[in-house]
Amino acid sequence: MMIPVRCFTCGKVVSEHYEEFQARAQAGDEDPQKVLDDLGVNRHCCRRMMVSHADLVDVVSPYQ
Amino acid sequence: MTTEFDVEFIERTDRNARFLVRGLTPAFANGIRRAMVADVPTLSIDTVRFVENSSVMFDEMIALRLGLIPLTTPLDDFELGDTVTVALDVEGPATAYSGDIVTSEPGVEVADKNIPIIKLNSGQRLEFEADAVLDRGKDHAKHQGGVAVGYRHLQKVEVDGDLGEFDDEEPQILRGVIETEDGELIASSEFDHDLTKLYPGKELSVTDVPGAFVFHVETDGSFSVEELVDRAAETIGDRADELKNAVAV
Repeated sequence: MMIPVRCFTCGKVVSEHYEEFQARAQAGDEDPQKVLDDLGVNRHCCRRMMVSHADLVDVVSPYQ
Repeated sequence: MTTEFDVEFIERTDRNARFLVRGLTPAFANGIRRAMVADVPTLSIDTVRFVENSSVMFDEMIALRLGLIPLTTPLDDFELGDTVTVALDVEGPATAYSGDIVTSEPGVEVADKNIPIIKLNSGQRLEFEADAVLDRGKDHAKHQGGVAVGYRHLQKVEVDGDLGEFDDEEPQILRGVIETEDGELIASSEFDHDLTKLYPGKELSVTDVPGAFVFHVETDGSFSVEELVDRAAETIGDRADELKNAVAV
């Protein structure tokens, strides 16, 4: 659904940077590694939160 | 008994710091780390009263997300268990952000304003009133002010001599902070965590410096690093006093 607010492992607030990451690395053509470094998401536990997230709100939103 | 600790900062920003403390025992270093994680209270949303939630998430899921949003916490003005009322009202099509949350106390606000709570389509609406409560990390992880708090030994690097002419130079990977022979402190990120880049062609020995710990402290934005460390040390002092009184004859 929505990106988790914090990193599961360390507790850093990662959702803060998700929309920028999405726009620059996944929709844009920048290197995801450089974008994450630039955003200050340094630990690999926080990085996997961003990289592996599948945003499904738009898929479920027509229902209920 | 009062001992002076020698503290030296290696890296210091508002939310992130790395500092060296000398004269600690391993037990005391760990005591400070644990106090930072479990004993320093922060404000966090706890009880949520939903007025309307027609989003695709259940009330409970939204309440969980709200609890994880860091709130700035002026610790001098609050006591354990005190509450602050917060509210939000967003109507779709829009995304409800943490920055849309309004609080009743001027000193308390959302530390990170760009956290998406829930994306709302047209016709969907989220309105609630909630109580943020001051509590400790011991009771719930959402009240932890410190994020990824840890420490390492300070490592001393000594040059034993030159590497033999036909010896293979293998990378010597190291993490943390090193002390050179001149007493200079260098974070390993400065030489790409590889000692051979700092001392090419040298025979090296690396040893832990006893009683010297390099702390890495990061906060979630509830307060500054200094505040977190000071308060953590304070709670240790308070508990020591408590024990002293309890066993006093």
